[in-house]
Amino acid sequence: MEAILQSIGDFLNNLSPLIVLPIVVMVLGLVLGQRPDRAFRSGLLTAVAFVGIFLTVGLLGEKISTIGQAFAQRTGTGLDVIDIGWPAASALAFATPVGNLIIPIGIALNIILLVLGLTQTLDVDIWNFWHAAFLGAIVNLATGSLALGLIAAAIAQVIAFFLADWSAPLISKYFKLPGVSIPHLQSAGCMLLAVPFALLINRIPFLKKLQLNPDRIRKRLGVLGEPIVLGLVIGVLLAWLAGESLTEVLTTGINIAAVMVLVPRMVGILMEGLTPVADAAREFMTKRFAGRKFHIGLDSAVLIGSPAVIASGLLMVPIELVLALLLASVGNRTLPFIDLADGVFVTAMLAPLVAGDVLLTVILGAIVMGVGLIFTTLLAPAITNMIATTAISVDIPTGFATYTVMSDAATPPTYALYYLFQTPEAVAIIVGLLVLVGLYFLKVKFPLGDKLFAQEEELDAR
Amino acid sequence: MMKRVYLVCGTGIATSSMLRAKIEDFLDDHGIRVTITQHRVAELNAKRIDADLIVATTIIPPDIKEVVTVLDGIPLITGIGQDKFFQELLRLLQER
Repeated sequence: MEAILQSIGDFLNNLSPLIVLPIVVMVLGLVLGQRPDRAFRSGLLTAVAFVGIFLTVGLLGEKISTIGQAFAQRTGTGLDVIDIGWPAASALAFATPVGNLIIPIGIALNIILLVLGLTQTLDVDIWNFWHAAFLGAIVNLATGSLALGLIAAAIAQVIAFFLADWSAPLISKYFKLPGVSIPHLQSAGCMLLAVPFALLINRIPFLKKLQLNPDRIRKRLGVLGEPIVLGLVIGVLLAWLAGESLTEVLTTGINIAAVMVLVPRMVGILMEGLTPVADAAREFMTKRFAGRKFHIGLDSAVLIGSPAVIASGLLMVPIELVLALLLASVGNRTLPFIDLADGVFVTAMLAPLVAGDVLLTVILGAIVMGVGLIFTTLLAPAITNMIATTAISVDIPTGFATYTVMSDAATPPTYALYYLFQTPEAVAIIVGLLVLVGLYFLKVKFPLGDKLFAQEEELDAR
Repeated sequence: MMKRVYLVCGTGIATSSMLRAKIEDFLDDHGIRVTITQHRVAELNAKRIDADLIVATTIIPPDIKEVVTVLDGIPLITGIGQDKFFQELLRLLQER
């Protein structure tokens, strides 16, 4: 079995990601009953998106990493690990052997769990399977086993389903989204770590009185929510502190602004390519589970417009930078960079735990990201290796610096599973399954918003 | 003048791209031409909005809702209530 999987892995690795995922998308579309011309178009569009993503991610290459290193040395901060951000990471994850196979595996897992009645989440958000694929890919490279990579990814995705079920009552109540759950490994994973701290800080009366006004924060800091401006500012600051010439300072600013704008546009095309498959999968599943009560699993992006989430997400920009500097003495080397623009994914599912109090949400976010930054640094060699391996067919210059991905390396289930899969494989698999059993009981016995965090006061997110 | 539609979601790329494909297909079939742009909710500024309609997959702050009509796009992602969504979209775009 291992040998067969290994040769599948080698085969996939030798083919370019430009070829594999598009074929998977096309075949899957056909299997799920899509019209042949549309399935072909979806496949082609994903290939085109990959070309665009890897072209634009190249902007983050050699020059930025030398400037990053100069910055780390000159400023004495030692922050020399560069965050490439989730847009680039998602494409890289889908381009690995685990990523090539994650969509059919994720859909199959979801169907099996629904049939067995172990989950109530019908996940139509196949895009975010990439978070599981990302973990699977680094496990695959670290252990040399595609099978272990796939198992790790499968466990991560089931964790996402279970966390979605667990939080569904709270999420649908707080955000007024009935029938919705969020199987988003990053946002739900951050929530998992925050729950015990939320139980604690909810009891501190003094903190609750300092209510920050989310609308005022959004209007004041809204500019930090514009990636193009944020990119320019970060780029200029980085190059200036690295001691570059004026021309170089401005060029770097514009290049980072370009990365912030262009990579996501390309990811949008990938999304467009995957949408028909997601639709076909949704129709396929809803038809078969008609009459059953379930939550529709959506991207945590649907929560982000809530005032408390936006305000705390924006406040995470300065907080992540300050945390990175403060934690440099205890081992952080991550320079928060591209993912600074998306602190909202960290705070999206934290806000409901503290009834939308901005200050408390930010405290939870700071705890999650404080721990997270240590792991983004620890996982950087594995991630750099993944970029280098995948980059054989893509165009990211490697060998200059260490890269990380804040969105995923700071996600508690991701780093926990990565380290779990460094143990002997029997241990990893058994403990992994035990975790799933534990989460299952947690979600059945202590649903959030019902047994835990059942706020009495009227929640008002909209 | 062509109507302007903002597609708004948490990232300006994720769910808004899913909406875009469907809305464009639908409007093509009905021969309606609009200018569509995608935006992230955090960057919306009530004073700078230049749209006749916002279709959103996320929660829109109240001050934005005061200046432009907002249509909930979540039915397009869940598939539940899609027909009603399109009826409403048609109605809003054919106004005036």
